Amino acid sequence: MKEVNFDQLQEKIYTETLDNGLKVVILPKRGFSKTFVTFTTKYGSIDRTFKPHGKDELITVPDGIAHFLEHKMFEKEDGDVFQKFSLNGASANAYTTFGRTAYLFSATNKLKENTKILLDFVQQPYFTKETVDKEKGIIAQEITMYDDQPDWRLYFGTIENLYENHPVKIDIAGTVESIQDITAEHLYTCYETFYHPSNMLLFIVGAVKPKEMMEFIKDDQAKKTFDKPEAIERQFPNESTEVDVSERTLTMDVSKPKLNIGMKCNKVDLQGQEMLEAELSANLVLDSLFGRTSAFYEKANAEGLVDESFSYEFTMEEGYGFAMVGSDTDEPERLEKLIRHTIKDAKSNWPVLEEDLNRMRRKKIGQFMRSLNSIEFIANQYTRYEFNEMNLFDVVPTLEKLSMDKLKEAFAMFSDDNSYTIFKVMPPKTQ
Amino acid sequence: MFNKTKLQNGVHLYIRKTEQFKTVNVTIKWKAPLDQKKASERAVLANVMEDSTKQYPTLGSMRKALDELYGTVLFTDVSKRSSQHMVSLYTECVNDEFFAGEDIFKQLWQLIRSVVFDPNVTNKAFDPDVTEREKRNVRDRIRSIYDDKTRFAQKRMLEIMRPDHPASISAYGTETAVSEITNESLYATYEDMMNNDLIDIYVVGDIDENDIIKQIKQFLPFAARDAVKQNGSPDVKVSDTVNTVREKQDMKQGKLHLGFHTPVFFHHPDYHKMQVTNGVFGGFAHSKLFMNVREKESMAYYANSAFASHYGIVYVTAGIDADLEEKAVKLILEQLTALQKGESTEIELSQTVALLENSILSANDSARSQIEIYDQYKELDENFTAERLIEKWESVTLEDVKEMANTIQLEIVYLLSGKEDVSE
Repeated sequence: MKEVNFDQLQEKIYTETLDNGLKVVILPKRGFSKTFVTFTTKYGSIDRTFKPHGKDELITVPDGIAHFLEHKMFEKEDGDVFQKFSLNGASANAYTTFGRTAYLFSATNKLKENTKILLDFVQQPYFTKETVDKEKGIIAQEITMYDDQPDWRLYFGTIENLYENHPVKIDIAGTVESIQDITAEHLYTCYETFYHPSNMLLFIVGAVKPKEMMEFIKDDQAKKTFDKPEAIERQFPNESTEVDVSERTLTMDVSKPKLNIGMKCNKVDLQGQEMLEAELSANLVLDSLFGRTSAFYEKANAEGLVDESFSYEFTMEEGYGFAMVGSDTDEPERLEKLIRHTIKDAKSNWPVLEEDLNRMRRKKIGQFMRSLNSIEFIANQYTRYEFNEMNLFDVVPTLEKLSMDKLKEAFAMFSDDNSYTIFKVMPPKTQ
Repeated sequence: MFNKTKLQNGVHLYIRKTEQFKTVNVTIKWKAPLDQKKASERAVLANVMEDSTKQYPTLGSMRKALDELYGTVLFTDVSKRSSQHMVSLYTECVNDEFFAGEDIFKQLWQLIRSVVFDPNVTNKAFDPDVTEREKRNVRDRIRSIYDDKTRFAQKRMLEIMRPDHPASISAYGTETAVSEITNESLYATYEDMMNNDLIDIYVVGDIDENDIIKQIKQFLPFAARDAVKQNGSPDVKVSDTVNTVREKQDMKQGKLHLGFHTPVFFHHPDYHKMQVTNGVFGGFAHSKLFMNVREKESMAYYANSAFASHYGIVYVTAGIDADLEEKAVKLILEQLTALQKGESTEIELSQTVALLENSILSANDSARSQIEIYDQYKELDENFTAERLIEKWESVTLEDVKEMANTIQLEIVYLLSGKEDVSE
């Protein structure tokens, strides 16, 4: 077991990669009552074309399968796993993203028993035709629920505009139609390919004794047998740096129009420290162009073009990335013009001063320190960083040394004219 | 838990010293009787106070000052509890120890002072542009509930179930009340709030208690006020017939909301028993609703119950195929009937108690949750601790659950669903 100290943050992590390839990270938090445990596989909705474990031919599986698999992990021959967690006072859950599936619980009691339940249920699949078919009704209702959420449609509609081929454009849960094709055999194939311990990370944070816990996990894993780890071969289609569709509008029963601008990232092969620098820089650029201290925001706010829903974000993963800026607005055309103008203007007339950079740097460092109060943030983010070969605890030192040039480089990643798309959700026209 | 200091009549300070967090939280709560018109005034006022101050007269300058202070958080919000309306100012800054030579915390007090005692006011009126803008923002916040069909359905159910009653009044008031606000009326509301509201101040973090008391006396000189008890449970008129209401919008899923009455309110001695009963009914993933409506019948992705203890309401929400309304209602009511007949098990009971315990102990791991939970429970017991409540939950029996379930009475079945002609 390796110990790593982060003196500046007053945190210490314990890590070990077990014989079966599973990476375990433990972070004890002073004064905390609960422990939060996540068990995550590097497998999400975008992993739809791959070579199944032990096979040589690529296959493509139905859309929504990673999420479907997540649901079905909870049902076992002897019943529902939630029942066991509840009995031990643990609150359990799971989620699927584009690139990860995480199983988790939080508990203030019986940490070992609950960790054992987590490890066992994720490492012992049980799928039958009957249980798979039964889940289709539940997931169909989940998809329908999201279909009625205008902000989700706005977000996903923008991604669909940005990407022509990349599976990031496919809804994480799939569609009511696509999930009908999912079978128990599919689930086993995906499970065996992506749920090998060497493709997974276990993170334990909060009220935990590191040495004791590590031993407990090692014992448990040593008693289980796994195949030899195999490199996973995924395949992704070619994708141009240009957007697929430059503008689309969806009509929904909303009180006010919604506008979202997407900007496609032209650099999608970064990992590790380079990725960390690019991602932090891009966030600082968006902060300075669109944040509450920006010239853009002052104008948009004064003229009533944005409201409390205004937000912006930057997303970067292996293979895809984008910036988004959006708001509910009565004047989508004017707001769109102002956003476009802000981007264009920044290209010819770089608006970020050294003092702005320093102020935003301080802000981001403070925000990061604050987020370390949340053990959920630590576990989820650490895992995401690790899967991208970054370290969460490098954020502060990296922020401290980010230069203006890095910000300019980051801005160039998403400010091409042909990387820009508009998505609107509009209320029905009144007759 | 918290150490209480009376600063003035009606103004109290609650401090919790802990080394658990990397930040210090300071929260101020102003509490007044809930009233639709006043709620709107106070919602807009909260926004205007967050926007700017005399010292930082624009949003940009205000936000720059906060960013410089290592991204110190400062925002306001409004909420309601029973017949009480609350304006809250939330602030949080990183501990000085992480940044050698900085005195972030001291500067935070100055900022709070500026927001609370020195707002952006000229001749007893707030800046008219800011007022108009924030009126628009609050109006749009009220309107935007329409976009979230679950929230909209819940709002409609409560309006029909308890018209013109604290249970259905929004903490933001109404669009009409917002439109009637002027920058003068807003200033009058500010004065009223500063002089007459009950005020609770919370500080959580690695601090020195004596320093805090000194700083608050220096920076936040609130005057004494009448400490009238505000927060009794509102009266309720319950109808004896079940109301069935169906409404339509352009949407896909059916939002089924059932409203039930119970005479057990927050201040009732059986309150904790009802919390457990609600948990067995539909509070968790092991509960009857989840196991039967979702897992057994595959009819819903979510099917939960909740206990709005301040209004004596238990409600059930489920997202279903609207064609299956009748079946879903029947299934939901069967779960309640099972509880009423005493058909719950020791396992269901101990699962529920274990998860209630987990949730209240987990709340200790967030400064904000500590503040919110204590602020609520101190009305029952000034010496409230999680352990005391846990003891009570652990003493609840299956017989208690049965007895509580029998007080729960269906009042309304509300369904919000799509129009026939919706197509993609």
